[in-house]
Amino acid sequence: MNILVLLAGVADNRYPLHEIRLDNGLISESGNSRRVLSPFDEGALELALKLRDQRQDCHVEVLVLGGSNQDNLLRSVAAFKPDRLRCLQLQPCRLWDAALSSEQITAVLSGESLRPDLLLIGREFGDLDEGGLPVMLAARLGLPLFSLTQYVQWQDGKLSLLRERGTCQQWHRPTGPLVASVTNDRRNKLRHPLMKNVMMAKKMSFGSLDAPADNAVSLHPEQLQPAREVQRGGNCRMLEGDVQTQAAALLSYLKRESQA
Amino acid sequence: MNGTARIIAVIPLAWGDEALLETTGAAQQISVDAGCGFDVVLLGGAAQPSEQQRAILAAAGRIQLVAHDMLESGDNLPALATAAARALTAPTEQQLLLVPPGADGEELAALLAAQLDCALLGRCTRAAWDGEAWLIERAVWGGRQTLSLRLTGQRGVASLRLGRAQRGTAEPATLDVLHIQESLPEPLEIEQTRSEQRLAPVQGARLVVSGGRGVNEQGFAQLEELAARLDAALGGSLPAVDAGMVPVARQVGISGHFVSAEVYLAVGISGTPQHLAGISNATCILAVNKDPAADIFKVANVGVVAEWEQLLPALLAQLPG
Repeated sequence: MNILVLLAGVADNRYPLHEIRLDNGLISESGNSRRVLSPFDEGALELALKLRDQRQDCHVEVLVLGGSNQDNLLRSVAAFKPDRLRCLQLQPCRLWDAALSSEQITAVLSGESLRPDLLLIGREFGDLDEGGLPVMLAARLGLPLFSLTQYVQWQDGKLSLLRERGTCQQWHRPTGPLVASVTNDRRNKLRHPLMKNVMMAKKMSFGSLDAPADNAVSLHPEQLQPAREVQRGGNCRMLEGDVQTQAAALLSYLKRESQA
Repeated sequence: MNGTARIIAVIPLAWGDEALLETTGAAQQISVDAGCGFDVVLLGGAAQPSEQQRAILAAAGRIQLVAHDMLESGDNLPALATAAARALTAPTEQQLLLVPPGADGEELAALLAAQLDCALLGRCTRAAWDGEAWLIERAVWGGRQTLSLRLTGQRGVASLRLGRAQRGTAEPATLDVLHIQESLPEPLEIEQTRSEQRLAPVQGARLVVSGGRGVNEQGFAQLEELAARLDAALGGSLPAVDAGMVPVARQVGISGHFVSAEVYLAVGISGTPQHLAGISNATCILAVNKDPAADIFKVANVGVVAEWEQLLPALLAQLPG
Protein backbone atom coordinates (compact mmCIF):
# COMPACT_ATOMS: atom_id res chain seq x y z
CA MET A 1 0.00 0.00 0.00
CA ASN A 2 1.27 3.46 -0.90
CA ILE A 3 0.56 6.10 1.74
CA LEU A 4 1.20 9.75 1.03
CA VAL A 5 1.27 12.19 3.95
CA LEU A 6 1.03 15.94 3.37
CA LEU A 7 2.32 18.09 6.22
CA ALA A 8 2.18 21.87 6.49
CA GLY A 9 3.34 22.89 9.98
CA VAL A 10 2.12 25.84 12.04
CA ALA A 11 3.75 28.56 14.11
CA ASP A 12 4.54 27.18 17.55
CA ASN A 13 1.82 28.68 19.78
CA ARG A 14 4.02 28.42 22.86
CA TYR A 15 5.94 31.45 21.59
CA PRO A 16 4.97 34.95 20.45
CA LEU A 17 4.22 35.07 16.75
CA HIS A 18 7.23 35.92 14.58
CA GLU A 19 7.15 38.93 12.27
CA ILE A 20 4.73 38.43 9.38
CA ARG A 21 3.68 40.96 6.76
CA LEU A 22 2.11 41.18 3.35
CA ASP A 23 4.54 41.82 0.55
CA ASN A 24 3.21 42.27 -2.96
CA GLY A 25 0.30 39.89 -2.49
CA LEU A 26 2.32 37.23 -0.65
CA ILE A 27 3.12 36.49 2.97
CA SER A 28 6.61 37.43 4.07
CA GLU A 29 7.86 35.82 7.29
CA SER A 30 10.93 36.72 9.32
CA GLY A 31 13.77 34.25 9.68
CA ASN A 32 13.02 33.45 13.32
CA SER A 33 9.84 31.53 12.58
CA ARG A 34 9.30 28.48 14.79
CA ARG A 35 7.21 26.34 12.44
CA VAL A 36 6.42 22.95 13.95
CA LEU A 37 4.02 20.12 13.11
CA SER A 38 0.46 20.92 14.17
CA PRO A 39 -1.54 18.37 16.22
CA PHE A 40 -3.38 17.54 12.98
CA ASP A 41 -0.10 17.05 11.07
CA GLU A 42 1.19 14.86 13.87
CA GLY A 43 -1.97 12.76 13.78
CA ALA A 44 -1.64 12.22 10.03
CA LEU A 45 2.01 11.18 10.33
CA GLU A 46 1.39 8.89 13.30
CA LEU A 47 -1.47 7.08 11.56
CA ALA A 48 0.77 6.44 8.54
CA LEU A 49 3.52 5.08 10.80
CA LYS A 50 1.02 2.89 12.68
CA LEU A 51 -0.16 1.33 9.43
CA ARG A 52 3.45 0.70 8.32
CA ASP A 53 4.30 -0.85 11.70
CA GLN A 54 1.68 -3.52 11.08
CA ARG A 55 2.35 -4.34 7.44
CA GLN A 56 5.67 -4.52 5.69
CA ASP A 57 4.24 -3.74 2.25
CA CYS A 58 3.34 -0.18 3.33
CA HIS A 59 5.38 2.54 1.69
CA VAL A 60 5.13 5.91 3.42
CA GLU A 61 6.04 8.99 1.42
CA VAL A 62 5.87 12.41 3.07
CA LEU A 63 5.73 15.86 1.49
CA VAL A 64 6.45 18.76 3.84
CA LEU A 65 5.38 22.22 2.83
CA GLY A 66 8.32 24.52 2.11
CA GLY A 67 8.68 27.98 3.59
CA SER A 68 9.98 29.41 6.82
CA ASN A 69 12.01 27.07 9.02
CA GLN A 70 11.65 24.31 6.41
CA ASP A 71 14.96 22.56 7.10
CA ASN A 72 14.19 22.05 10.79
CA LEU A 73 10.69 20.87 9.98
CA LEU A 74 12.00 18.39 7.38
CA ARG A 75 14.59 17.06 9.81
CA SER A 76 11.98 16.61 12.54
CA VAL A 77 9.95 14.46 10.11
CA ALA A 78 13.01 12.62 8.76
CA ALA A 79 13.67 11.35 12.30
CA PHE A 80 10.58 9.13 11.93
CA LYS A 81 12.19 7.48 8.89
CA PRO A 82 9.50 7.74 6.21
CA ASP A 83 10.39 5.77 3.09
CA ARG A 84 10.66 8.98 1.11
CA LEU A 85 10.61 12.61 2.21
CA ARG A 86 10.60 15.70 0.05
CA CYS A 87 9.85 19.39 0.37
CA LEU A 88 6.76 20.69 -1.41
CA GLN A 89 7.29 24.19 -2.78
CA LEU A 90 4.05 25.95 -3.71
CA GLN A 91 4.99 28.71 -6.15
CA PRO A 92 3.39 31.03 -5.30
CA CYS A 93 2.36 29.97 -1.79
CA ARG A 94 -1.11 31.44 -1.17
CA LEU A 95 -2.49 29.07 1.40
CA TRP A 96 -5.48 31.32 2.16
CA ASP A 97 -6.71 30.35 -1.31
CA ALA A 98 -7.63 26.66 -0.97
CA ALA A 99 -8.86 26.52 -4.56
CA LEU A 100 -5.47 27.60 -5.91
CA SER A 101 -3.35 25.56 -3.47
CA SER A 102 -5.35 22.37 -4.03
CA GLU A 103 -4.97 22.85 -7.78
CA GLN A 104 -1.20 23.24 -7.41
CA ILE A 105 -0.90 20.10 -5.29
CA THR A 106 -3.14 18.11 -7.63
CA ALA A 107 -0.99 19.12 -10.60
CA VAL A 108 2.26 18.19 -8.91
CA LEU A 109 0.95 14.79 -7.75
CA SER A 110 -0.27 14.09 -11.23
CA GLY A 111 3.03 15.22 -12.80
CA GLU A 112 5.00 12.97 -10.44
CA SER A 113 2.60 10.07 -11.06
CA LEU A 114 1.99 9.90 -7.33
CA ARG A 115 -1.16 7.82 -6.98
CA PRO A 116 -1.40 6.91 -3.33
CA ASP A 117 -3.85 4.33 -2.04
CA LEU A 118 -4.27 6.52 1.02
CA LEU A 119 -3.54 10.24 1.26
CA LEU A 120 -3.37 11.48 4.84
CA ILE A 121 -3.52 15.20 5.56
CA GLY A 122 -4.28 17.20 8.71
CA ARG A 123 -7.81 18.60 8.89
CA GLU A 124 -6.28 22.09 8.49
CA PHE A 125 -3.25 22.60 6.24
CA GLY A 126 -1.15 25.19 8.03
CA ASP A 127 -1.91 28.50 9.70
CA LEU A 128 -3.89 29.99 6.81
CA ASP A 129 -6.20 27.10 6.00
CA GLU A 130 -9.43 26.45 7.89
CA GLY A 131 -10.04 22.99 6.59
CA GLY A 132 -11.00 23.80 3.01
CA LEU A 133 -7.82 22.59 1.36
CA PRO A 134 -8.10 18.86 2.20
CA VAL A 135 -11.72 18.85 0.98
CA MET A 136 -10.92 20.65 -2.27
CA LEU A 137 -7.84 18.49 -2.82
CA ALA A 138 -9.92 15.30 -2.57
CA ALA A 139 -12.48 16.79 -4.96
CA ARG A 140 -9.82 17.81 -7.50
CA LEU A 141 -8.15 14.40 -7.27
CA GLY A 142 -11.56 12.81 -7.85
CA LEU A 143 -11.17 10.75 -4.67
CA PRO A 144 -13.64 10.20 -1.83
CA LEU A 145 -12.90 11.99 1.42
CA PHE A 146 -13.24 10.60 4.93
CA SER A 147 -13.03 13.72 7.03
CA LEU A 148 -11.97 14.18 10.66
CA THR A 149 -10.36 10.73 10.89
CA GLN A 150 -9.23 9.85 14.41
CA TYR A 151 -7.82 6.36 14.01
CA VAL A 152 -6.96 3.78 11.37
CA GLN A 153 -6.21 0.10 11.63
CA TRP A 154 -5.92 -3.06 9.59
CA GLN A 155 -8.92 -5.29 10.07
CA ASP A 156 -8.97 -8.68 8.34
CA GLY A 157 -6.29 -7.36 6.00
CA LYS A 158 -8.34 -4.34 5.04
CA LEU A 159 -8.01 -0.71 5.96
CA SER A 160 -10.52 0.61 8.48
CA LEU A 161 -10.88 4.27 9.46
CA LEU A 162 -12.68 5.66 12.50
CA ARG A 163 -14.23 8.97 13.43
CA GLU A 164 -16.68 9.98 16.14
CA ARG A 165 -19.79 12.05 15.52
CA GLY A 166 -21.78 13.04 18.59
CA THR A 167 -22.31 9.84 20.53
CA CYS A 168 -21.64 7.56 17.54
CA GLN A 169 -18.56 5.89 16.12
CA GLN A 170 -18.36 5.76 12.33
CA TRP A 171 -16.15 3.19 10.58
CA HIS A 172 -15.29 3.32 6.89
CA ARG A 173 -13.59 0.52 4.98
CA PRO A 174 -12.48 1.95 1.64
CA THR A 175 -12.58 -0.17 -1.48
CA GLY A 176 -10.30 2.14 -3.46
CA PRO A 177 -7.97 5.13 -3.09
CA LEU A 178 -9.06 7.58 -0.43
CA VAL A 179 -8.17 10.96 1.05
CA ALA A 180 -8.47 11.07 4.85
CA SER A 181 -8.24 14.33 6.75
CA VAL A 182 -7.00 13.70 10.26
CA THR A 183 -7.98 15.39 13.49
CA ASN A 184 -6.26 15.16 16.85
CA ASP A 185 -7.07 12.25 19.11
CA ARG A 186 -5.38 10.46 22.00
CA ARG A 187 -4.95 7.42 19.71
CA ASN A 188 -2.90 9.31 17.13
CA LYS A 189 -0.49 11.24 19.31
CA LEU A 190 2.88 11.26 17.56
CA ARG A 191 5.48 8.89 19.00
CA HIS A 192 8.93 10.07 19.99
CA PRO A 193 11.66 9.38 17.44
CA LEU A 194 14.73 7.33 18.35
CA MET A 195 17.68 9.55 19.26
CA LYS A 196 19.94 7.83 16.71
CA ASN A 197 17.41 8.71 13.99
CA VAL A 198 17.26 12.32 15.19
CA MET A 199 21.04 12.52 14.89
CA MET A 200 20.99 10.94 11.43
CA ALA A 201 18.30 13.37 10.28
CA LYS A 202 20.54 16.30 11.16
CA LYS A 203 22.95 15.28 8.43
CA MET A 204 20.39 14.64 5.72
CA SER A 205 19.56 16.77 2.71
CA PHE A 206 16.19 16.74 1.00
CA GLY A 207 14.89 17.00 -2.53
CA SER A 208 12.01 19.24 -3.43
CA LEU A 209 8.94 19.24 -5.62
CA ASP A 210 7.88 22.49 -7.25
CA ALA A 211 4.18 23.20 -7.62
CA PRO A 212 3.77 26.24 -9.86
CA ALA A 213 0.56 28.08 -10.72
CA ASP A 214 -0.45 30.65 -13.25
CA ASN A 215 -1.03 34.21 -12.13
CA ALA A 216 -4.82 34.06 -11.93
CA VAL A 217 -5.77 35.37 -8.49
CA SER A 218 -9.32 35.12 -7.19
CA LEU A 219 -8.57 36.11 -3.60
CA HIS A 220 -6.31 39.09 -3.14
CA PRO A 221 -4.92 39.81 0.35
CA GLU A 222 -5.61 43.41 1.37
CA GLN A 223 -4.47 43.61 4.96
CA LEU A 224 -2.90 41.52 7.71
CA GLN A 225 -3.19 42.78 11.25
CA PRO A 226 -3.21 41.51 14.84
CA ALA A 227 -6.56 40.06 15.85
CA ARG A 228 -8.93 42.38 17.66
CA GLU A 229 -9.63 41.66 21.31
CA VAL A 230 -12.73 39.59 21.98
CA GLN A 231 -15.65 41.96 22.58
CA ARG A 232 -17.90 40.32 25.14
CA GLY A 233 -17.74 42.35 28.33
CA GLY A 234 -18.98 39.80 30.84
CA ASN A 235 -18.67 42.24 33.78
CA CYS A 236 -17.49 39.31 35.80
CA ARG A 237 -18.97 38.98 39.26
CA MET A 238 -16.34 37.27 41.42
CA LEU A 239 -17.64 34.82 44.02
CA GLU A 240 -15.92 35.36 47.35
CA GLY A 241 -15.71 33.23 50.49
CA ASP A 242 -14.29 29.77 51.17
CA VAL A 243 -14.53 26.98 48.64
CA GLN A 244 -17.77 25.60 50.11
CA THR A 245 -19.45 29.01 49.81
CA GLN A 246 -18.14 29.45 46.27
CA ALA A 247 -19.36 25.97 45.30
CA ALA A 248 -22.83 26.66 46.71
CA ALA A 249 -23.15 29.94 44.81
CA LEU A 250 -21.90 28.35 41.59
CA LEU A 251 -24.32 25.45 41.97
CA SER A 252 -27.25 27.80 42.25
CA TYR A 253 -26.47 29.11 38.74
CA LEU A 254 -25.97 25.61 37.35
CA LYS A 255 -29.07 24.11 38.98
CA ARG A 256 -31.25 26.97 37.81
CA GLU A 257 -30.34 26.12 34.25
CA SER A 258 -30.45 22.34 34.62
CA GLN A 259 -33.96 22.55 36.08
CA ALA A 260 -35.19 25.10 33.52
CA MET B 1 -27.75 50.75 -3.82
CA ASN B 2 -25.37 48.78 -5.97
CA GLY B 3 -26.66 46.32 -8.53
CA THR B 4 -23.58 44.15 -8.95
CA ALA B 5 -23.53 42.28 -5.66
CA ARG B 6 -25.72 39.34 -4.71
CA ILE B 7 -25.99 36.93 -1.82
CA ILE B 8 -27.33 33.41 -2.06
CA ALA B 9 -27.81 31.31 1.08
CA VAL B 10 -27.48 27.57 0.39
CA ILE B 11 -29.11 25.55 3.18
CA PRO B 12 -29.79 21.81 3.54
CA LEU B 13 -33.27 21.53 5.07
CA ALA B 14 -32.33 18.40 7.01
CA TRP B 15 -29.81 20.42 9.04
CA GLY B 16 -32.70 21.92 10.96
CA ASP B 17 -34.01 25.31 11.99
CA GLU B 18 -30.75 26.35 13.66
CA ALA B 19 -28.87 26.13 10.33
CA LEU B 20 -31.73 27.97 8.65
CA LEU B 21 -31.73 30.73 11.27
CA GLU B 22 -27.94 31.16 11.34
CA THR B 23 -27.43 31.21 7.57
CA THR B 24 -30.40 33.45 6.88
CA GLY B 25 -29.30 35.69 9.76
CA ALA B 26 -25.89 36.19 8.14
CA ALA B 27 -27.45 36.77 4.71
CA GLN B 28 -29.91 39.30 6.15
CA GLN B 29 -27.27 41.27 8.01
CA ILE B 30 -24.72 41.38 5.19
CA SER B 31 -27.34 42.23 2.57
CA VAL B 32 -28.63 45.18 4.57
CA ASP B 33 -25.11 46.59 4.98
CA ALA B 34 -24.27 45.90 1.33
CA GLY B 35 -27.52 47.34 0.00
CA CYS B 36 -28.28 44.23 -2.03
CA GLY B 37 -30.88 41.51 -1.71
CA PHE B 38 -30.45 37.84 -1.00
CA ASP B 39 -31.91 34.62 -2.32
CA VAL B 40 -32.16 31.22 -0.70
CA VAL B 41 -31.50 27.80 -2.19
CA LEU B 42 -32.89 25.03 0.01
CA LEU B 43 -31.68 21.46 -0.49
CA GLY B 44 -34.06 18.69 0.46
CA GLY B 45 -36.23 15.76 -0.52
CA ALA B 46 -39.89 15.66 -1.39
CA ALA B 47 -41.05 17.53 1.73
CA GLN B 48 -41.48 21.27 1.41
CA PRO B 49 -40.36 23.68 4.15
CA SER B 50 -42.86 24.19 6.97
CA GLU B 51 -44.77 27.45 7.49
CA GLN B 52 -42.45 28.20 10.39
CA GLN B 53 -39.39 27.72 8.18
CA ARG B 54 -40.92 29.85 5.43
CA ALA B 55 -41.40 32.64 7.99
CA ILE B 56 -37.65 32.63 8.72
CA LEU B 57 -37.06 33.20 5.00
CA ALA B 58 -39.49 36.12 4.72
CA ALA B 59 -36.77 38.64 3.80
CA ALA B 60 -35.43 36.55 0.90
CA GLY B 61 -36.05 37.79 -2.64
CA ARG B 62 -36.34 34.33 -4.14
CA ILE B 63 -36.64 30.90 -2.54
CA GLN B 64 -35.82 27.78 -4.48
CA LEU B 65 -36.11 24.22 -3.24
CA VAL B 66 -33.72 21.83 -4.98
CA ALA B 67 -35.27 18.42 -4.50
CA HIS B 68 -33.86 14.91 -4.81
CA ASP B 69 -34.38 11.79 -2.69
CA MET B 70 -30.67 11.65 -1.86
CA LEU B 71 -30.82 15.10 -0.26
CA GLU B 72 -33.46 14.10 2.27
CA SER B 73 -31.11 13.00 5.07
CA GLY B 74 -28.65 15.87 4.64
CA ASP B 75 -25.61 13.74 5.45
CA ASN B 76 -24.34 13.12 1.91
CA LEU B 77 -22.27 16.28 1.48
CA PRO B 78 -20.99 15.56 -2.06
CA ALA B 79 -24.61 15.05 -3.20
CA LEU B 80 -25.69 18.33 -1.54
CA ALA B 81 -22.84 20.23 -3.24
CA THR B 82 -23.53 18.66 -6.63
CA ALA B 83 -27.25 19.44 -6.44
CA ALA B 84 -26.61 23.03 -5.34
CA ALA B 85 -24.11 23.56 -8.15
CA ARG B 86 -26.65 22.34 -10.70
CA ALA B 87 -29.21 24.83 -9.44
CA LEU B 88 -26.91 27.83 -9.45
CA THR B 89 -26.78 29.52 -12.83
CA ALA B 90 -23.82 31.52 -14.11
CA PRO B 91 -23.65 34.75 -12.09
CA THR B 92 -24.23 38.15 -13.61
CA GLU B 93 -23.21 39.85 -10.35
CA GLN B 94 -20.39 39.08 -7.94
CA GLN B 95 -21.99 36.36 -5.83
CA LEU B 96 -21.42 35.62 -2.18
CA LEU B 97 -22.67 32.11 -1.46
CA LEU B 98 -23.37 31.46 2.22
CA VAL B 99 -23.63 28.02 3.80
CA PRO B 100 -24.47 27.14 7.43
CA PRO B 101 -21.62 27.66 9.92
CA GLY B 102 -19.98 24.65 11.58
CA ALA B 103 -17.79 21.74 10.48
CA ASP B 104 -20.32 20.23 8.04
CA GLY B 105 -21.07 23.66 6.57
CA GLU B 106 -17.39 24.34 6.03
CA GLU B 107 -16.97 21.01 4.26
CA LEU B 108 -20.02 21.76 2.13
CA ALA B 109 -18.54 25.17 1.27
CA ALA B 110 -15.31 23.57 0.03
CA LEU B 111 -17.17 20.94 -2.00
CA LEU B 112 -19.38 23.61 -3.53
CA ALA B 113 -16.37 25.78 -4.39
CA ALA B 114 -14.77 22.75 -6.08
CA GLN B 115 -17.98 22.02 -8.01
CA LEU B 116 -18.36 25.63 -9.16
CA ASP B 117 -14.60 26.13 -9.66
CA CYS B 118 -14.75 29.33 -7.65
CA ALA B 119 -13.02 30.82 -4.60
CA LEU B 120 -13.43 29.30 -1.17
CA LEU B 121 -13.73 32.15 1.30
CA GLY B 122 -14.07 29.72 4.19
CA ARG B 123 -14.93 30.47 7.78
CA CYS B 124 -15.17 34.25 7.81
CA THR B 125 -15.56 36.66 10.69
CA ARG B 126 -16.83 39.49 8.49
CA ALA B 127 -18.08 40.05 4.94
CA ALA B 128 -18.82 43.42 3.35
CA TRP B 129 -19.38 44.92 -0.09
CA ASP B 130 -17.18 47.93 -0.84
CA GLY B 131 -19.01 49.02 -3.98
CA GLU B 132 -16.77 46.98 -6.28
CA ALA B 133 -16.10 43.64 -4.64
CA TRP B 134 -16.75 41.46 -1.62
CA LEU B 135 -14.25 41.91 1.18
CA ILE B 136 -13.97 39.26 3.85
CA GLU B 137 -11.98 38.78 7.04
CA ARG B 138 -10.61 35.54 8.38
CA ALA B 139 -8.83 34.59 11.59
CA VAL B 140 -5.38 33.17 10.77
CA TRP B 141 -2.35 31.95 12.73
CA GLY B 142 -4.58 30.33 15.33
CA GLY B 143 -6.68 33.45 15.78
CA ARG B 144 -3.66 35.66 16.46
CA GLN B 145 -3.93 37.61 13.18
CA THR B 146 -6.77 38.77 10.94
CA LEU B 147 -6.41 38.55 7.17
CA SER B 148 -8.59 40.72 4.92
CA LEU B 149 -9.19 39.34 1.43
CA ARG B 150 -10.77 40.82 -1.68
CA LEU B 151 -12.74 38.52 -3.95
CA THR B 152 -11.65 39.20 -7.50
CA GLY B 153 -13.47 36.27 -9.12
CA GLN B 154 -17.21 36.06 -9.84
CA ARG B 155 -18.11 33.85 -6.90
CA GLY B 156 -16.98 32.90 -3.44
CA VAL B 157 -18.38 30.47 -0.86
CA ALA B 158 -18.31 31.39 2.82
CA SER B 159 -19.76 30.57 6.21
CA LEU B 160 -20.29 33.22 8.87
CA ARG B 161 -21.81 33.33 12.30
CA LEU B 162 -23.52 36.71 12.73
CA GLY B 163 -26.55 35.78 14.80
CA ARG B 164 -29.97 34.40 14.02
CA ALA B 165 -32.44 35.72 11.48
CA GLN B 166 -35.39 37.74 12.66
CA ARG B 167 -38.63 35.97 11.79
CA GLY B 168 -40.40 38.20 9.30
CA THR B 169 -44.03 39.19 9.21
CA ALA B 170 -44.07 39.84 5.46
CA GLU B 171 -45.40 37.25 3.06
CA PRO B 172 -42.47 35.02 2.00
CA ALA B 173 -41.54 34.82 -1.67
CA THR B 174 -43.07 32.07 -3.76
CA LEU B 175 -41.28 28.74 -3.51
CA ASP B 176 -39.84 27.47 -6.79
CA VAL B 177 -39.11 23.77 -6.85
CA LEU B 178 -36.37 22.28 -8.99
CA HIS B 179 -36.47 18.48 -9.17
CA ILE B 180 -33.03 17.10 -9.92
CA GLN B 181 -33.43 14.17 -12.30
CA GLU B 182 -29.77 13.24 -12.73
CA SER B 183 -27.99 10.88 -10.37
CA LEU B 184 -26.01 12.34 -7.50
CA PRO B 185 -22.82 11.00 -5.84
CA GLU B 186 -23.38 7.97 -3.64
CA PRO B 187 -22.55 8.41 0.07
CA LEU B 188 -19.53 6.71 1.63
CA GLU B 189 -20.34 3.34 3.14
CA ILE B 190 -20.29 3.92 6.87
CA GLU B 191 -20.82 1.46 9.68
CA GLN B 192 -22.16 3.28 12.69
CA THR B 193 -22.09 2.12 16.30
CA ARG B 194 -22.73 3.77 19.65
CA SER B 195 -19.59 5.15 21.25
CA GLU B 196 -18.79 4.91 24.95
CA GLN B 197 -19.93 8.51 25.42
CA ARG B 198 -22.74 8.54 27.98
CA LEU B 199 -23.34 12.29 27.84
CA ALA B 200 -25.16 14.34 25.23
CA PRO B 201 -23.11 16.14 22.56
CA VAL B 202 -22.20 19.80 23.15
CA GLN B 203 -24.14 20.95 20.10
CA GLY B 204 -27.60 22.03 21.17
CA ALA B 205 -26.93 21.54 24.92
CA ARG B 206 -28.43 24.12 27.29
CA LEU B 207 -25.73 23.53 29.88
CA VAL B 208 -22.09 22.71 29.09
CA VAL B 209 -19.44 21.75 31.64
CA SER B 210 -16.01 22.19 30.09
CA GLY B 211 -12.36 21.74 31.05
CA GLY B 212 -9.06 23.04 29.74
CA ARG B 213 -5.32 22.61 29.91
CA GLY B 214 -5.36 23.21 33.67
CA VAL B 215 -7.40 20.06 34.40
CA ASN B 216 -5.96 16.54 34.46
CA GLU B 217 -7.53 13.12 33.93
CA GLN B 218 -8.92 12.96 37.48
CA GLY B 219 -10.41 16.42 37.04
CA PHE B 220 -12.10 15.43 33.79
CA ALA B 221 -13.59 12.39 35.51
CA GLN B 222 -15.08 14.77 38.09
CA LEU B 223 -16.31 17.13 35.36
CA GLU B 224 -17.96 14.19 33.62
CA GLU B 225 -19.68 13.17 36.84
CA LEU B 226 -20.81 16.75 37.40
CA ALA B 227 -22.17 16.91 33.85
CA ALA B 228 -24.05 13.63 34.37
CA ARG B 229 -25.66 14.85 37.59
CA LEU B 230 -26.67 18.15 35.99
CA ASP B 231 -27.86 16.51 32.77
CA ALA B 232 -25.31 18.68 30.99
CA ALA B 233 -22.90 18.11 28.09
CA LEU B 234 -19.16 17.71 28.66
CA GLY B 235 -16.82 19.86 26.58
CA GLY B 236 -13.13 20.70 26.40
CA SER B 237 -10.67 23.14 24.92
CA LEU B 238 -8.15 22.27 22.17
CA PRO B 239 -5.26 21.74 24.64
CA ALA B 240 -7.43 19.35 26.64
CA VAL B 241 -8.23 17.42 23.45
CA ASP B 242 -4.55 17.41 22.48
CA ALA B 243 -3.69 16.00 25.90
CA GLY B 244 -6.22 13.19 25.35
CA MET B 245 -8.43 14.32 28.24
CA VAL B 246 -11.60 14.65 26.17
CA PRO B 247 -12.53 13.37 22.68
CA VAL B 248 -12.30 15.75 19.74
CA ALA B 249 -16.05 15.36 19.20
CA ARG B 250 -16.45 17.42 22.37
CA GLN B 251 -14.00 20.18 21.46
CA VAL B 252 -15.36 23.72 21.79
CA GLY B 253 -13.66 26.53 19.91
CA ILE B 254 -12.78 27.86 16.51
CA SER B 255 -11.62 24.47 15.24
CA GLY B 256 -14.21 22.57 17.28
CA HIS B 257 -17.90 23.04 17.95
CA PHE B 258 -19.81 26.25 18.47
CA VAL B 259 -22.07 26.15 21.51
CA SER B 260 -24.97 28.42 22.23
CA ALA B 261 -25.78 27.02 25.66
CA GLU B 262 -27.54 29.07 28.31
CA VAL B 263 -24.69 28.42 30.74
CA TYR B 264 -21.07 27.40 30.06
CA LEU B 265 -18.97 26.32 33.04
CA ALA B 266 -15.29 26.78 32.10
CA VAL B 267 -12.87 25.06 34.48
CA GLY B 268 -9.12 25.53 34.03
CA ILE B 269 -9.67 27.32 30.73
CA SER B 270 -7.52 30.39 30.17
CA GLY B 271 -9.89 32.08 27.71
CA THR B 272 -8.00 32.30 24.41
CA PRO B 273 -9.79 34.01 21.50
CA GLN B 274 -9.75 30.63 19.70
CA HIS B 275 -11.76 29.00 22.50
CA LEU B 276 -14.12 31.94 23.04
CA ALA B 277 -14.94 31.94 19.31
CA GLY B 278 -16.79 28.69 19.98
CA ILE B 279 -19.14 30.16 22.60
CA SER B 280 -22.18 32.25 21.74
CA ASN B 281 -22.15 35.87 22.92
CA ALA B 282 -25.53 35.19 24.52
CA THR B 283 -24.13 32.39 26.71
CA CYS B 284 -23.54 33.05 30.39
CA ILE B 285 -19.96 31.97 31.21
CA LEU B 286 -19.11 30.73 34.71
CA ALA B 287 -15.32 30.58 35.03
CA VAL B 288 -13.18 28.69 37.52
CA ASN B 289 -9.44 29.33 37.40
CA LYS B 290 -6.68 29.46 39.97
CA ASP B 291 -5.08 32.44 38.22
CA PRO B 292 -6.94 35.67 39.08
CA ALA B 293 -5.35 37.32 36.03
CA ALA B 294 -6.65 34.67 33.57
CA ASP B 295 -8.23 36.20 30.45
CA ILE B 296 -11.38 34.14 30.95
CA PHE B 297 -12.39 36.48 33.80
CA LYS B 298 -12.44 39.42 31.34
CA VAL B 299 -15.33 37.82 29.47
CA ALA B 300 -17.05 35.66 32.09
CA ASN B 301 -20.27 36.64 33.85
CA VAL B 302 -19.39 34.88 37.08
CA GLY B 303 -15.89 33.98 38.29
CA VAL B 304 -14.33 31.84 40.97
CA VAL B 305 -10.62 31.97 41.77
CA ALA B 306 -9.96 28.48 43.08
CA GLU B 307 -8.04 25.27 42.48
CA TRP B 308 -10.25 22.77 40.67
CA GLU B 309 -8.89 20.07 43.00
CA GLN B 310 -10.82 21.73 45.84
CA LEU B 311 -13.79 23.20 43.99
CA LEU B 312 -14.95 20.20 41.92
CA PRO B 313 -15.21 17.82 44.92
CA ALA B 314 -17.08 20.56 46.80
CA LEU B 315 -19.53 20.93 43.89
CA LEU B 316 -20.07 17.17 43.72
CA ALA B 317 -20.53 16.90 47.48
CA GLN B 318 -23.30 19.50 47.35
CA LEU B 319 -24.95 17.83 44.36
CA PRO B 320 -25.73 14.23 45.33
CA GLY B 321 -25.98 11.74 42.47
